Amino acid sequence: MNEEAGMTTQPKILLVDDEVAITSNLAPFLERAGFRVAVAADGEAALARVADFGPDLVVLDILMPQLDGRQVLRELRRAGNWTPVILLTQVGESTERAMALEEGADDYLNKPFDPHELVARIRAVLRRARPGQRPLASARRLISGDLVVDRLPRRAYVGGRELQLTPKAMALLEYMMMHADELLSRDRLLDAVWGWDYPVGTRTVDTRIAELRRALDDDPADPVFVETVTGQGYRFVGPVEAEG
Amino acid sequence: MTLKSARLWIVALLPLVAGLAAASLLWDVEMVNNPVVAVRIDLGSAVLVAGLAVSAVLSSALGSWQAAGRRCRAQMDEARTQAAGERRRFLQRLDHELKNPLTAIRAGLANVAGDPGLAGQGETVKGIEAQVVRLSRLTSDLRKLAELEERPLERRPVDVAQLLEEAVAVARDQAPAGGRRLTLTLPQAPWPVPSVPGDWDLLFLATYNLLDNALKFSGEGDAIEVRAFEDGTFVAIEVADTGPGIPRDEIPRVWQELYRGEEARGVPGSGLGLALVRAIAERHGGRVRLRSRAGQGTVVTMRLPLR
Repeated sequence: MNEEAGMTTQPKILLVDDEVAITSNLAPFLERAGFRVAVAADGEAALARVADFGPDLVVLDILMPQLDGRQVLRELRRAGNWTPVILLTQVGESTERAMALEEGADDYLNKPFDPHELVARIRAVLRRARPGQRPLASARRLISGDLVVDRLPRRAYVGGRELQLTPKAMALLEYMMMHADELLSRDRLLDAVWGWDYPVGTRTVDTRIAELRRALDDDPADPVFVETVTGQGYRFVGPVEAEG
Repeated sequence: MTLKSARLWIVALLPLVAGLAAASLLWDVEMVNNPVVAVRIDLGSAVLVAGLAVSAVLSSALGSWQAAGRRCRAQMDEARTQAAGERRRFLQRLDHELKNPLTAIRAGLANVAGDPGLAGQGETVKGIEAQVVRLSRLTSDLRKLAELEERPLERRPVDVAQLLEEAVAVARDQAPAGGRRLTLTLPQAPWPVPSVPGDWDLLFLATYNLLDNALKFSGEGDAIEVRAFEDGTFVAIEVADTGPGIPRDEIPRVWQELYRGEEARGVPGSGLGLALVRAIAERHGGRVRLRSRAGQGTVVTMRLPLR
């Protein structure tokens, strides 16, 4: 999408949450941020709105009566609908996070979140989106040069050699590849991969990045995969392709 | 089997052994007619049977007594597990019930902040926002506690020396030591501190929380010492300070969730830091201990099993 198109056509967002207090406050905020917004209060309504509103992106709460967010997402993907989805996660974060990845959510955000952060995420996901195509988030394999990440068995290979990674480093690699070319602040990585806003943040991330770099044999001074953006965070710089 | 129950079994089996020994002697003695009992039985066998009977009675009494003990212990374990489960579910529900309203309030505040008609209310909005963020942090800490007890634990060798070096470095970055003497002591002889199996992130969080407390509750001129040592079964990580210490009557309560001591009133924090430390240590099969003297300082020890 070029800048001009972005200015003239307002992206359409479908906001799905059963809590009226949330949708009634969040919808106007998203509208003011430049989106066209439709609201659905449950999973059934969400599927119906996806069909008639044709959103560019769905913000989907997980815990809802009847059809929950996870089932909606599964239903969409099964029907071959690749509309980007941002999940609002709630209980049992770590398991939910893994599910979200496996079922092809493009990003996720913990409640309660800063609404400005939601807008930033929506913009980032829309920038990456390739309309009608399978997003990286629902690919079985992520490939960057000779690095291959097999997502379901959670294994990574470089030139056919399997990498020995801790589960946390593996999740970090996966998340970074899915958000390739995006500047990822340490706080965002903590929130997304760890699910905890550690008071001690930065070092925790740095330690795992160092582990990844050692495993990938990636030179921080001349990175093929992970670049340090001084004072801001990290960026996965390799081109990433989806397979399967 | 414990030493005590082994001893009881010996007592129970003693009559049988005595019976056997007596019988083996008496079998050699000439058979005597028993005028009262019609059954003819040699004295050796009679003693053996008596010994057997007494042993059987004692054994079954002991067995049922031990079974009762086991049942009682099992019931207590079950009650404990149940209580822990209920507490966890309560924390999850509380967290969940707080999350949605907080999300709505944050969105509402963002709307108010962006409304040009309310431009004069900037300071008020900021004030409310700060409090909402504080509540959000509290819910996230509650979630951590609830999650800690059930999330899968990454168990890999954690280099304790490296862990403490990093925690001290972060503490130095985050809170300028402000005239405190912060030292890290790691033994080298006869060998360096070994690693412990565990979850790096969690152990880091626990250590950092201890260090953060020491920094928060001490002042200029105070000493803070971080050290580690092992005794063959455990690695002990200690964080000690020469801060104001904790009044004696408050010490047992410092591990409780949301407890904040008199001294802590003016200090930022959620009251969940030490509860988290204890939960992390216990998930690793370890323990924590706090000793403090008012006016002298505090030392917290976290013991983690070597395997």
